[in-house]
Amino acid sequence: MFLRIVGECFARRPRRKVLAGVVLSLGMAVATGALSVSLDVGDRLAREFRRLGANLVVTPRADSLRLEVGGVDYRPANAGAFLPAADLPKLREIFWRNNVVGFAPVLEVPITFRPSFAAVGGPAGDAAQATLLGTWHSHEIAASEGGRFVTGVEKTNPWWRVQGRWFSEGADECVVGERVAQRAGLRVGDTVVVQARGQGKVLHISGLLATGGSEDDDIVAPLPIAQEAAGKPGLYRRLYVSVLTKPEDAFARRDPSTMTPEEYERWYCTPYISSIALQIGQALPGSDVQPIRSVAEGEGRLLSRVSVLLWLVTFAAVLASALAVGATSAATALERQAEIGLMRALGAQSRTVAALLGAEQLLLGLVGGAMGYAAGIFVARLLGEALFGAAPKEPMLVLPLVLTLAACVALGGSLLPLRRAVRHDPAAILRGE
Amino acid sequence: MFWRIERRLLGASRGRLAVVLLALASGGTIITALVNLELDTSRKLTREFRAFGANVILSAREQPAIRVPTEGVLDASVVARIPSEWEGQRVAAVPFLYLIAQAKPIVSPSQADPSDSVAALSPTMLVVAGTRLAGLPQVAPGWKTVRGLMGSVPQGESVRSAARSPEACLVGTRAAQHLGVIPGDELLLSAGGLQESCAVEATLTAGGPEDDQVLVPLGAAQKLAGLPGRASLVQVSVPGTGAAVDRFLARLSAGLPDVAVRPVRQFTEAEALLYARIHNLLLGIVAVVGLLTVLCVMTAMATLSLERARDVGLMKMLGGPISRILRLFLVEAGTLGLVGGALGTLMGMALSAWVGRRVFGVGAAPRWEIVPFTLSLMVMMAVAGAFPLRLLARVKPAAIFRGEA
Amino acid sequence: MSAMIEVRALVKEYGPVRALNGVSFTVWAGEWIAIMGPSGSGKTTLVNILGGLDTPSSGRVAVSGAEISSLTEAELARYRAEQVGFVFQQFHLVPYLNALENVMLAQYFHSMADEREAAEALRRVGLGERLEHLPSQLSGGEQQRVAIARAVINDPKIILADEPTGNLDEANERIILSLFQELHRSGQTLLVVTHDPSIAQLADRRIELAHGRLARISAAPMEEENGPLTALSRPAGASW
Repeated sequence: MFLRIVGECFARRPRRKVLAGVVLSLGMAVATGALSVSLDVGDRLAREFRRLGANLVVTPRADSLRLEVGGVDYRPANAGAFLPAADLPKLREIFWRNNVVGFAPVLEVPITFRPSFAAVGGPAGDAAQATLLGTWHSHEIAASEGGRFVTGVEKTNPWWRVQGRWFSEGADECVVGERVAQRAGLRVGDTVVVQARGQGKVLHISGLLATGGSEDDDIVAPLPIAQEAAGKPGLYRRLYVSVLTKPEDAFARRDPSTMTPEEYERWYCTPYISSIALQIGQALPGSDVQPIRSVAEGEGRLLSRVSVLLWLVTFAAVLASALAVGATSAATALERQAEIGLMRALGAQSRTVAALLGAEQLLLGLVGGAMGYAAGIFVARLLGEALFGAAPKEPMLVLPLVLTLAACVALGGSLLPLRRAVRHDPAAILRGE
Repeated sequence: MFWRIERRLLGASRGRLAVVLLALASGGTIITALVNLELDTSRKLTREFRAFGANVILSAREQPAIRVPTEGVLDASVVARIPSEWEGQRVAAVPFLYLIAQAKPIVSPSQADPSDSVAALSPTMLVVAGTRLAGLPQVAPGWKTVRGLMGSVPQGESVRSAARSPEACLVGTRAAQHLGVIPGDELLLSAGGLQESCAVEATLTAGGPEDDQVLVPLGAAQKLAGLPGRASLVQVSVPGTGAAVDRFLARLSAGLPDVAVRPVRQFTEAEALLYARIHNLLLGIVAVVGLLTVLCVMTAMATLSLERARDVGLMKMLGGPISRILRLFLVEAGTLGLVGGALGTLMGMALSAWVGRRVFGVGAAPRWEIVPFTLSLMVMMAVAGAFPLRLLARVKPAAIFRGEA
Repeated sequence: MSAMIEVRALVKEYGPVRALNGVSFTVWAGEWIAIMGPSGSGKTTLVNILGGLDTPSSGRVAVSGAEISSLTEAELARYRAEQVGFVFQQFHLVPYLNALENVMLAQYFHSMADEREAAEALRRVGLGERLEHLPSQLSGGEQQRVAIARAVINDPKIILADEPTGNLDEANERIILSLFQELHRSGQTLLVVTHDPSIAQLADRRIELAHGRLARISAAPMEEENGPLTALSRPAGASW
């Protein structure tokens, strides 16, 4: 019987209900949209931030100090330590392997070169000095779980541009930095003879490289060619790694050696840059892994700022929609007073009346909340696609949250006027006071 | 009489008044806060991006084909010709002079341990970078310094409070390891027959070539290199959108024809894209939330204005012309919109200031130009919410009374 | 006497339902007409149309010589403001305006509000001490008196009353009816819907409706010897 009355109450006066329902739906749509986007945006932005390139650098622990000025390493060719490239596939097996976006080993060799079209001893035939930078581009690594993993400087230095095309692995090709090309009059398609340790190699120029940095003075070639030139087969000197991280908080900055086993496990299982650095160091023996602080710190700060900002906006949006919905609820309740007075004059108990109206409001809240949720998800999807090219993932959390909010607000908003009406003398209400 | 009726209308029901003002004020607060935040965030964001460090490098125009560390330098005084402000944001410019030198810790005779191996006392070859140490935090905010004085537990801090005394220097962590020095020790640097000494203020972690360097005051490096008044390059950090930075580059290139002015593309390109993404995200959310809030409040107003239906019927019964009746209720709605909007605008300003402080550490400066925008928006919303009354005005009075009875 | 109201073949349909099915009659100036009939007979519909609150589906209605059956909404509003005064069973006062303002509201919609005139009108119905009271602070009888003052303030041609004493006790009913009698004496045309024969007795003529049609028009006697309402007291302080 109770439910029947509730149902009939609900169906009456549709215009007023529809309006109240619309407000509720809109309010909940706002809340849903804001929540969905905020929950997802952290991950999306972190991925976007990888345009900055590598945020970790790996060097041989035993290496001598770099004598690098203006991108040129003035160390004697054999000085220092190196790391084996054979260890690199192990990076695909660390705990946070799915956060490793890419990596590229680097080996630099001082060389001399001359364009091969120039006759030896002629005016353009004098050998010029440059650095040969050996690295990977679109290098394929087989993953232990199957699937291909392609990595290289395109992941760690995404701002590098090549006019022409990049070299192919295994081919005797290179890309030449703009400034070198300009000085030596080299163009795409030319060949160049590179000399080191008394031996020469002919490389085909597949492209010209523009980086805006010191590499514009270098010749970049596949890693094996540099290894051959340096006489260091299978080795590299520096590794750049680009990883997806979670911004560091106070917990992350603690020294892992001071943590309890539980804390350590929690730290290890969170993709802080420090824990990922540790894991990489464990995978590559003899290495020293450091965050590239200019990138890592800036990224961390920006990400946390933007997250906080978005969460605050979300909170404000949810609060506002709750207030607007509450206001409508209160308004609807205000004008129900005559009805309530009548019911009570007919002998209904205060409790029954309250329960009846409460049930009606609850029903309104749930229905409106569900519709609002659907609308909100739709809007969030549109927004996600427009901004990031992909719809936000729908965390299971949002639906129950929104429904609860809708129910609370629908009930809470009408609470005060209903209480007043239920308490008041029915005769006074019927008189219209 | 018009205003007398208006006063009575507004005071009619306390509960209703409170509810209307609540709805309008909350809508106004949100919209004001969002708009203020959005306008302000653009500036704040561009400044935040400078957490990455320098985004413009000045170097000598002529770079020799055969590279020698101390060739290709420019006049250090060029720093003075770089504008200290660009489009309302502060610009930081710090010169660097690089040279290769020998470094050796200075051990006083009392400290000398006879068991120290000869190798530990032989000098290490490394890169010395002369710079304005106090200016480092502005172009390299991410770097970390560690001071360990007298065996106390070293606390990591940013380069903010780095060395100020002319004798002080910073040593990169790897260099410090190789040299075997800790903060408090002294270093002897020698190059080309010249010598300089300095006190190690702190060690420095950057995750880059600086970890292998010793950073000294610019003057000391110039002396060591025998290049008075010179610098290898100038690092500049200029906040702003991609377009603003481009304008800065153009201005510098035009004003300093003897210098090569280059953007650090790693940052400028990524920042332009990231800024666009983040800004659009914020804009998108603001627009969507703003739109939905407007709809929400309008509907709430419509619901509330339906209560006036009976009054409209009554006035029509008395023979009131539609225009006059509507005017009464529209003015009521407009007044409520104004008051609620004013309340909301004030609270919104306060809210955005608070949010700005929490997120960026600097409160958002209130932009009073938002006020007329929000106020008129709230008034429009309130009046639009009274729209159902127009429809009621068309209905025959008898129908309204029938609905009542 | 000239014809104040002429109704010819008045029909009003609400969808399939015919509330009025061809009603014709004439009301002379200064007459007090009682409109009677069982519920559903079309009394309220007739009053609504006469008052310009509704328009007929077909037929003609002329008030004071002017045809009102085909007026526009705006013209009907003007008609209501100038020619008609309403008194309802539920009073229909604006709850947030006091007695004075409720009367001034009618003036406002007619032309201009005049506080002195409104105060005078309220004094004449015996509410001189209650000008500032809100309807919630007035008794039913007092509220109806305010409604009457409001109805007459603009000097209307006709006054339409729909069960004016339906919500009142006997004592207040007497007061209201004696006010109506005064209005009648001063030449006001009155149409009063009632189901109470003793009220109908006070009228000049009775129009009886049944199923939307005119069942009977009869002259009611001006006085009845043993009628229950012979002794009516005039409210204290009231004069017309």
